[in-house]
Amino acid sequence: MWNIPENQKGRKTRRVEARRSAVNFSRREFLKVSLTASGVLVMGVHFAGCSNGRGQMREEAESTGVFRPNAIIAIQPDGFVQVAVAKTEMGQGVFTSHAMLVAEELEVPLEMVRSYHPEAGPDYQTFGVQITGGSSSLKESFVPIREAAAAAREMLVLAAASAWGVPASECEAREGAIHHKDKSVPIGDLTRAASTQEIPSSPRIKTKDFKVIGQAKTRVDALEKVKGEAVFGIDVSVPGMLRAVVIRPPVMGSTLKSFDASAAEKETGVEAIFEFERGVAVVAQKYWQAMRASRLVKVEWNDDSKLKGLNSAELASEAARESRKSEPDIPAGLKVFEAEYASPYLSHSPMEPMNAAAWVKGDSAEIWAPLQWQSAAQGDIAMLLGIDRAKVKIHTTMLGGGFGRRLMIDYVVEAVLVARKLKKPVHVIWSREDDMRGGYYRPINHTRVVGGLDESGRIQALHYHTLSQSLLDLRDWLPGILPEWLPRIARTMAARAAGSLVESDMLPNALATEGASETAYRIPEHDVKYTQIRVDVPVSFWRSVGHSFNAFAMESFIDELAAAADKDPLAFRLEHLPQGSRERNVLEKAAELADFSGPRDSGWGKGIAVHKSFDTYCAEVVEARVTNGAIEVRRVWCVVDCGIVVNPDIVRQQMESCIIQGISAAIHQEITFENGHVIQGNFDDYKFIRLHETPEIFVDIVESNEAPTGVGEPGLPPVAPALAGAIFEVTGQRLRRMPFLQALKDTK
Amino acid sequence: MKFKVNGEDHEVDVPGDVPLLWVIREELNLLGTKFGCGKALCGACTVMVDGKARRSCVLPVGSVEGAEITTVEGLGEGGTLHAVQEAWLEENVVQCGYCQPGQIVQAAALLSVNENPSDAEIDSALSANLCRCGTYPRIRKAVKLAASKLGGQP
Repeated sequence: MWNIPENQKGRKTRRVEARRSAVNFSRREFLKVSLTASGVLVMGVHFAGCSNGRGQMREEAESTGVFRPNAIIAIQPDGFVQVAVAKTEMGQGVFTSHAMLVAEELEVPLEMVRSYHPEAGPDYQTFGVQITGGSSSLKESFVPIREAAAAAREMLVLAAASAWGVPASECEAREGAIHHKDKSVPIGDLTRAASTQEIPSSPRIKTKDFKVIGQAKTRVDALEKVKGEAVFGIDVSVPGMLRAVVIRPPVMGSTLKSFDASAAEKETGVEAIFEFERGVAVVAQKYWQAMRASRLVKVEWNDDSKLKGLNSAELASEAARESRKSEPDIPAGLKVFEAEYASPYLSHSPMEPMNAAAWVKGDSAEIWAPLQWQSAAQGDIAMLLGIDRAKVKIHTTMLGGGFGRRLMIDYVVEAVLVARKLKKPVHVIWSREDDMRGGYYRPINHTRVVGGLDESGRIQALHYHTLSQSLLDLRDWLPGILPEWLPRIARTMAARAAGSLVESDMLPNALATEGASETAYRIPEHDVKYTQIRVDVPVSFWRSVGHSFNAFAMESFIDELAAAADKDPLAFRLEHLPQGSRERNVLEKAAELADFSGPRDSGWGKGIAVHKSFDTYCAEVVEARVTNGAIEVRRVWCVVDCGIVVNPDIVRQQMESCIIQGISAAIHQEITFENGHVIQGNFDDYKFIRLHETPEIFVDIVESNEAPTGVGEPGLPPVAPALAGAIFEVTGQRLRRMPFLQALKDTK
Repeated sequence: MKFKVNGEDHEVDVPGDVPLLWVIREELNLLGTKFGCGKALCGACTVMVDGKARRSCVLPVGSVEGAEITTVEGLGEGGTLHAVQEAWLEENVVQCGYCQPGQIVQAAALLSVNENPSDAEIDSALSANLCRCGTYPRIRKAVKLAASKLGGQP
């Protein structure tokens, strides 16, 4: 059923600077596409622009008093500024950072800025895609959002200057008003006049002397969240909406044999019970009614899933055997060391269970959902229903966590399938078990590393062979995200072609090797090889993606080589990191912060790791001990270099979040398949650490003038190797398999 | 079935075994209380029943006949925030925010019977409330700050 193919030819890796030419999207005249210094694509801002757009801008200002110079900013007559946030707020703080960027350039108090999720559409795409992932939300928007705000500011200044008959250069925007000497006018009073001004072609943004950027502002979404007023997907309601639960097969992908709903149909509130692509839908007026009725449905399944017979333990053993089939050539004269590292399948399990609401109305559809990838949902639903993409309205709600799970749109498409049948708005709500047993998973991974040390204890060769399922397989979603002008058949064929490319390993699998193929350590011979594990378990991006297992293997192996060379893990790393590198800087700072070279408290060990991911540099020291078979983490020190910091408290939050998720995964978490069944089902057998297990966390942020980079994920990869290092220091035992608690038990 | 929610009398006509969570959400339309696990494992559904923190996702509504229930919406008085909510803002606790109503109600329940909880008491009272974003270090600080706001010694 699954097999690991012949070893793929190893690819010598090298640093590749992304150099992509800007594509000219002619559909929208004022779309700006730009590349930052690091080659990162940034989102475009649609200015009201030429004839039509400007006409609309004036009309809107005339009739409502709202000044909307572009798709991001809308200034109301009461002075409040609405900011359309193209990225999804899932806890990472994007509502706050985007609001701060606007406050900075529009010169308004942050309290006057309101963030919201706009209806999905072309105005909010980066190169044709609206997606939140890859720790890119701030990186992509740092310049364009400020330009959008600066354009608005310059038009407001022009409006005031012309009303006063003074040069615009003598006017200043400050505290939500435009000032000239002792005169001032609130921006809300200028919305109509501003809408008649020329839209500046290159609005001027600050390069220094920031007033808002760099401040630890309270999150703009905090108040509604502490009051319980934030609207998550699960809180959505529209008149006439029905609620549904889906009875799913015990092994993902099994087909329905038969079902008997005669008892369930008699329950109060039940509207419909029917078979569909995903199982049996039980629809009622209320969720609690659907829930009760679903328990009375008798269902039989065929034993025909592709996952039938799958055992993850066997899969792991097979991958391990495969990794040993070939031996790399290590130059003669070097001392050779090798080690193997294993990481399990993981669940994302965000706090808010999967759910989505849909309403299919003839040739249009409306969706309300907590989702990270609006474009995929829009495109795929349009394909499914055979309607125009523009006819699929997507309302993004707050997300009760994402961690990559809500990049997949299975639960949104499912709601559409149910709603299509009923011709009414329907909200499908999953149980915790539905998600943990029928979702997507971080791929299982096995990595074998062989290294060679010279006589002075320097690494001369490092051969890295990593085996995992491919994350590049987007054939399910590709038809939906390809341009709509391509005929449907062409999109389907392209998806098939992409599928076979993935199958054939023709595409370099950057996601499987990220964090290993690129290393700052100076190693003369560094070779990375990837072998695809072919198995039908649905996999997806899990916070920090390939870095989540590659940092564990790479940094653990560096520790092992240090021990082999009889060197301190910190000194050994510094010997191999170039002077002046940002990796070296965060590593040295973290070691100092944690007093890594100082004495240890009795019984406690410290481990250290450094890793770059998503263009952000992060070093961590973990202090831990093992008592009676339990792993305790007492303190974690973290130093992060993410370029210019917009909100230091949100950066700290994200580091804390990554560290706690990283500890949970390293110590406790594993999704296991036995005979095709996912064993874990809820938070009792899939554990996250709790308050009493939470270490003290110290975060230091490097001051920098470099362009800002992401913080949602980079704090996670160093956690596992640093924790493994601490356990090694205190027990002499090297844990090479996650979760560590299980690895400890197995070695007893 | 009759009970009080946030000081107001309510009467609902549902089977007694329906979990209180869904009565609060779907019959009373109070949406701050969240569904997370359905098995009293995560605490997102925490409400106070006669002053005690309870998991509403496993609590049959039939068992709260005549009780006084407080949800996150009922913590503050007359439009002002509860000290716990204020502390939550000051410590910038929330991230995704989904578990926070449950955390806040749990913390408020603790402080209503223990105005000056120790670290161990905070850990013990809140260890059953899961936060996937990992806001725990700030929750710890915020509970202490709330205690000091309520007049206990910090």
